[in-house]
Amino acid sequence: MLVFDQLKKNDASLRMVAVVLAAGLGILLVGLWWVQVVSAREFQSHLDTQQFRTIRLPAVRGKILDREGRVLAENQPRYNLSLYLDDFRRPFYYAYTNLFSAARKVQKQNIAAAEKKLGRSLKRAELKEFRMPAEQLEQLWQSARCQVVGDTLAQLAQKLGQPVPFNAKNFNLHYARQRALPYPALKNLDVRQIARFEEKYSASVGADLELESVRSYPNGTTAGHLLGYVLRDDNSKEGEDARAFNYYMPDFLGQVGVEAGFDALMRGRPGEESVLVNSLGYRMSKTVDAEPEPGDNVVLTLDLDLQRVAEDSLRTHQGANARGAVVVMDVRNGDVLAMVSSPAFNPVYSENDPARMTDETLRPAINRATQENYAPGSIFKVVVGLAALEAGLNPEKPYTVEPNPEDPQHGCIYVGRLKKKDTAPPGIYNFKRAIERSSNSYFIQIGLPDGMIDRIVTLAQKFHFGEKASLPTRQETPGDLPTLERVHHSWRDGDTANLCIGQGELAVTPLQMAVAYSAIANGGTVYWPRLVSHIVPPDPASRQAVRSYPVASVRDRIGVSSRSLRILHNAMLGETEDVEGTGKAAVVGPEMRICGKTGTAQVQDSTNQLIGYNFWFSSFAPFEHPRYAVVVLVQSQGKGSGGLICAPIAHDIYEAILNKEKAGAGKVLVAN
Amino acid sequence: MFEASTIPKESFDRLQIAALVGLMFIGTAFVFSATMANDSAATLMWYQQSWVRQIVYYALGAGVAAALCVADYHTLARWSYIVYWAMILCLVAVLIPHIGSMRFGARRWIDLVVFQFQPSEFAKLAYILAGANFLSRPPEELKRAKVFWQSMGLMMLPFVLILKEPDLGSALVLLPTGLVMMLVAGTPRRYLLRLVGIVGLLAMLFVADVLFAPVQWQIPMESYQRNRLMVYFGRNYTDFAPSNATPAELQRLRQRQLDDAYNVRQALISVGSGGLFGKGWRQGTQNALGYLPRAVAHNDFIFSVIAEEEGFVGSVIVLTLYAVVLFTGLRIAGQTRDRLGKLVAVGAVTLLFSHVFINIGMNIRIMPVTGVPLPLLSYGGSSVLCSMIAVGLMQNIHIHRKGY
Repeated sequence: MLVFDQLKKNDASLRMVAVVLAAGLGILLVGLWWVQVVSAREFQSHLDTQQFRTIRLPAVRGKILDREGRVLAENQPRYNLSLYLDDFRRPFYYAYTNLFSAARKVQKQNIAAAEKKLGRSLKRAELKEFRMPAEQLEQLWQSARCQVVGDTLAQLAQKLGQPVPFNAKNFNLHYARQRALPYPALKNLDVRQIARFEEKYSASVGADLELESVRSYPNGTTAGHLLGYVLRDDNSKEGEDARAFNYYMPDFLGQVGVEAGFDALMRGRPGEESVLVNSLGYRMSKTVDAEPEPGDNVVLTLDLDLQRVAEDSLRTHQGANARGAVVVMDVRNGDVLAMVSSPAFNPVYSENDPARMTDETLRPAINRATQENYAPGSIFKVVVGLAALEAGLNPEKPYTVEPNPEDPQHGCIYVGRLKKKDTAPPGIYNFKRAIERSSNSYFIQIGLPDGMIDRIVTLAQKFHFGEKASLPTRQETPGDLPTLERVHHSWRDGDTANLCIGQGELAVTPLQMAVAYSAIANGGTVYWPRLVSHIVPPDPASRQAVRSYPVASVRDRIGVSSRSLRILHNAMLGETEDVEGTGKAAVVGPEMRICGKTGTAQVQDSTNQLIGYNFWFSSFAPFEHPRYAVVVLVQSQGKGSGGLICAPIAHDIYEAILNKEKAGAGKVLVAN
Repeated sequence: MFEASTIPKESFDRLQIAALVGLMFIGTAFVFSATMANDSAATLMWYQQSWVRQIVYYALGAGVAAALCVADYHTLARWSYIVYWAMILCLVAVLIPHIGSMRFGARRWIDLVVFQFQPSEFAKLAYILAGANFLSRPPEELKRAKVFWQSMGLMMLPFVLILKEPDLGSALVLLPTGLVMMLVAGTPRRYLLRLVGIVGLLAMLFVADVLFAPVQWQIPMESYQRNRLMVYFGRNYTDFAPSNATPAELQRLRQRQLDDAYNVRQALISVGSGGLFGKGWRQGTQNALGYLPRAVAHNDFIFSVIAEEEGFVGSVIVLTLYAVVLFTGLRIAGQTRDRLGKLVAVGAVTLLFSHVFINIGMNIRIMPVTGVPLPLLSYGGSSVLCSMIAVGLMQNIHIHRKGY
């Protein structure tokens, strides 16, 4: 190198200086290489971390539809009026400088006053007392910002013609935590406000409408229990990429019902947005990195018309505070056509009266159709009867019921020394009459012989009482059925007697009864109850296929002879059509001949005190080729009977079914 | 006899001039990028915009430097002591409350309405001239202790005055300059070694005191200077908190530590994220989004802006240009006939090198933050003027090297 050649000649000290210079530049070069080449990626990631904020964008939630495609749950847009804070930076600064100079003036006055008092100018250490601490400056900033935003909102209020309240605390919190996001000043604008805003305020300082999606249920409380509800939950859900976002846009999580069971399908896939942020935390620009993918729609097996009829009927006959349930099922495949639970539950959770929700008796949050166990009472007698018929019972064999000495109008039977009362009058009974009049004595006596209890329990197990049906709605209880082992250990005749009349260690849900009666109606096939028919992709034009859930999944067969079934069917027909039948109130007409069974079960508390009754009416129709099963339950403390209380509700439902079939010109309500 | 006009004059050292022009070009471009990033800058009149002012400073500096080259440097050296004492007076004046204007906690400038006059910059140049003049006596004289201490005094006087302002960075730059000049002049090794030893010891004691000593024993220093040193050495502010500090106070100390380390952290991120080729002129986001504070982006941390936007390649180009200026300066020093010229050239080279090393070192965190501008690239009239004058002096020596 030219310089070094010349320096080599004679000048040692200059040479040393040159070497030191070269070494110094070399150190800088190595340092720069280390920082800019070797560590470049690390610093770039630091840059990204401080400059970018990621936002999780939840997708549009899928809808819930009934079997004919009518909307049960959907999303409504909600418009919020939001302020973009980066547009307010300069007004914030100006307001701050005004406040600051005012504070400065005060400070100077204080110093002057102090100096006047002392008679001399203050020393440096003393001046420190008057210095404005950082907290005060921060306070000034806060006041400045609140002033500017408050003024802006006042202006907006004037333009919109309505008050726009300013919550300073809320705003300060938003400013501290979510500066890069727009600040929602006014939520849920109605159409008029939106129109006024667009008219008078578009393209002006920093305010705009932001869209939020809110779950809505257009049918009020109809099917409320089955639909369930969603709660606000902004976090990343299970099954998503487990990464942390800086901000989360409002999102929901289904808690119970179909909203919960199919939440993963309905919520789609969230999108992602990234915001470039400057050193003060204000948003500079926004990019959408991934569009959210809307969720799938869920089509239920429910029929909205039948659901409405069932709910209205229960409410009309028993009032809004009635504790009861109705299940309507298609006997040929287990599709649930209607599922009602009363008192009603509003899927918009916040609109449920909190006092009612915590009421120990009403408990509207419980889906009584699937989530509570009830003593079945007389409606269980069909199981007892079938077991007896299969064991060889002669349905025509007469049995005499003795009158109750204390109550000669009604019969009784002695089990050991225990007297079991009967609601039916004393007299001669055959199978049909026993069903029609729901004679306790008759059914106890056919259940008592050796080995019958085993047969009864085995048959009940085939109906899958005491077991859950794997419902996706998180609202299920299995009920109670004694096991064979149980009936072999310390099991008395009295217990058998109780079981024969549907009391004792026996509890069912209305859905289980619907499945059981469907099995009886369709010739012996126990189906898995089906709540969801198929899943539809959100965009009909997309290539995605419709995914159907299997129809008519067989769970079991009860394996009774068709002769037994026929006898039972006839007996149950008599329940509604014969003079003595207790279920006459259900009758609709010759086009829809109903086979039914009424029931009244006693409800006892832990000290075996009577506290109420479960009134039941279980049925299927039409008699010739059964298609529908209807189960009605009403809990009450007062007097009554299944025939008086529940049968009229079933009547309304069957009438509606009939009208629907007629209107559909013979189109039968069934999915293929 | 011989007239001045027959003295053969060499032309300028073209290589150094070329490198200088390169640096001026880069300086203009990146002051533009650093200052025109926000929208409010665009509303300024053209004559208020920083990059235009920088060009004016360059022109002014070139003019002054050219004027200085007309006279032989020996003539200039005759005025050196007068200029030196004048600068000392200015340094004293700047410390007086109503003459020197206080900005950012330091009194460094005299407000002359048209521009801010920073005496410390000019004092460094004056010292080079005066010191070179003093040291250019015959080497035998330098062996005397009295002469040695006098030359030390010549250096320490402006050093102490500049330190008082307080301007640690500028004061520090005087030390290597003086030392190198004394070395090249031929001061005996033993003096210099002893000096370096003592200074080294003092520096270590100073650092130890700042970092480890309890409160009663600490040397009085501006708090922000102490903080910068602590941040550089990785000490936590909370180590110096009184024992009864509440958690809230400790949290506040930690927050302040983060704030004080902020500039360096942002500078590092700027430099590092530039990568190999940088992001492109005016495409740097650190400056545009305000992460690198506007107040320092165009002067002390201008190198970060260059590094982010032009990457490693750009950094190497800048270093190369400086290397050319410095080594041609050394060549000039080697080619002179007399000691005065050699000493002035070496002094100017060391001065510029110290600035470059400390400033770029500050940007990549191998030196603590000391507020030293980058010659010719940082925005600022005094800095540009003095850098140009330093180069002008070197050119002067080159032009007049054969004359006598």
